[in-house]
Amino acid sequence: MKTNELQNIWKNIDSEINLKTNEELNQYLAAKTRKTINKFLLFIAIDIIVSVGLIVFLIITALNRQSDIIYLLNNSILCLITLSLLIISLLSWKKIQNNKYNLPLKDWLEQRIKLLSSWLSGKYSKLYIVLIPILLIMIMISIHVYFEYKLFIEVMKDEESIFGQIVGLIIGLIFSYSAVNKIRKFQIKNLEFLKDLHARLSTIQ
Amino acid sequence: MKTLKEEFLEILSNYQGILFKVNRIYFRSEADREDNFQEIVYQLWKSFPDLQNRNSIGSWIYAVAINTSISRLKKESKIEYHDILPESSDTNDTVEKISLNENLSLLLNAIYKLNEIDKSIMLLYLEEKSYDEIAEILGITKSNVGVRINRAKEILKQNLKYLNHEN
Repeated sequence: MKTNELQNIWKNIDSEINLKTNEELNQYLAAKTRKTINKFLLFIAIDIIVSVGLIVFLIITALNRQSDIIYLLNNSILCLITLSLLIISLLSWKKIQNNKYNLPLKDWLEQRIKLLSSWLSGKYSKLYIVLIPILLIMIMISIHVYFEYKLFIEVMKDEESIFGQIVGLIIGLIFSYSAVNKIRKFQIKNLEFLKDLHARLSTIQ
Repeated sequence: MKTLKEEFLEILSNYQGILFKVNRIYFRSEADREDNFQEIVYQLWKSFPDLQNRNSIGSWIYAVAINTSISRLKKESKIEYHDILPESSDTNDTVEKISLNENLSLLLNAIYKLNEIDKSIMLLYLEEKSYDEIAEILGITKSNVGVRINRAKEILKQNLKYLNHEN
């Protein structure tokens, strides 16, 4: 089959095109915009509810334990970390949404590869390994100390409490790391796919 | 005076054939094509204010449509392509029993077997785009375009030969 024959065959596809009216196109746009906004609002709502909920809890418990300096310090640090994570997650979401599709394919692939690579192997990409246990320990201590109605130091001296915290920490770590691992695996797969496409586009075989 | 949205919809209406064709080579099911069509319309609208050169609207639509489709394939892990057809490849499932003429159906099935990059190259070639336009849409050099088209054509012909033999 000659190549111009292929182009002639391809022209038949024009008869298959089901043209949409301006009204229909407008409906497509409106529906997709609504869907995107709803998705965004849901993400923001969950993010804010969880973070603000935790911050409110930390403030209330701290106010009720004003004499326990170590407990106050624990809650203050936790509050700062939670606030930072809330801001970082909102900024990351904005970055994802700013995906520029109006670039040449090669440039678009490079942009996505750069973004995903910085998440997966950038300067702060492994921070979660340290941050997860620290956050878990601090949250568990904050809740546990508060409902034990004892001073921070006293709770930390109690063997039963320590044992309970360790068990809780192990369960929390398994759950958290497996969730993060799952997300990272998905992102690594995406990154490999994009790198493969980029290589196919860049190398002349 | 037209609003930005009215202007966008008018352009989209005139160029919607591109969306249909890009969708056709990347997605086999009607439902996927419908979803992707919606996504491309949205991405086009998002990048419309950045469109500086109104003389290259076609290239802009091709670029957004191809990038969006590849992004969607990535998300949904619908990666399936072969440079050369595997011997045991079952082609029956790829043949869509719709009202396409036989040759077009065969051509589409051969295109489905290409990798995502070669699919876009073949689409632009079949659409009789110039090397300059293809280079602009894909972000590669003109000389690279020539090499890639020849290579993709060769694979496509092999696929067609195989599918013809199967039939």
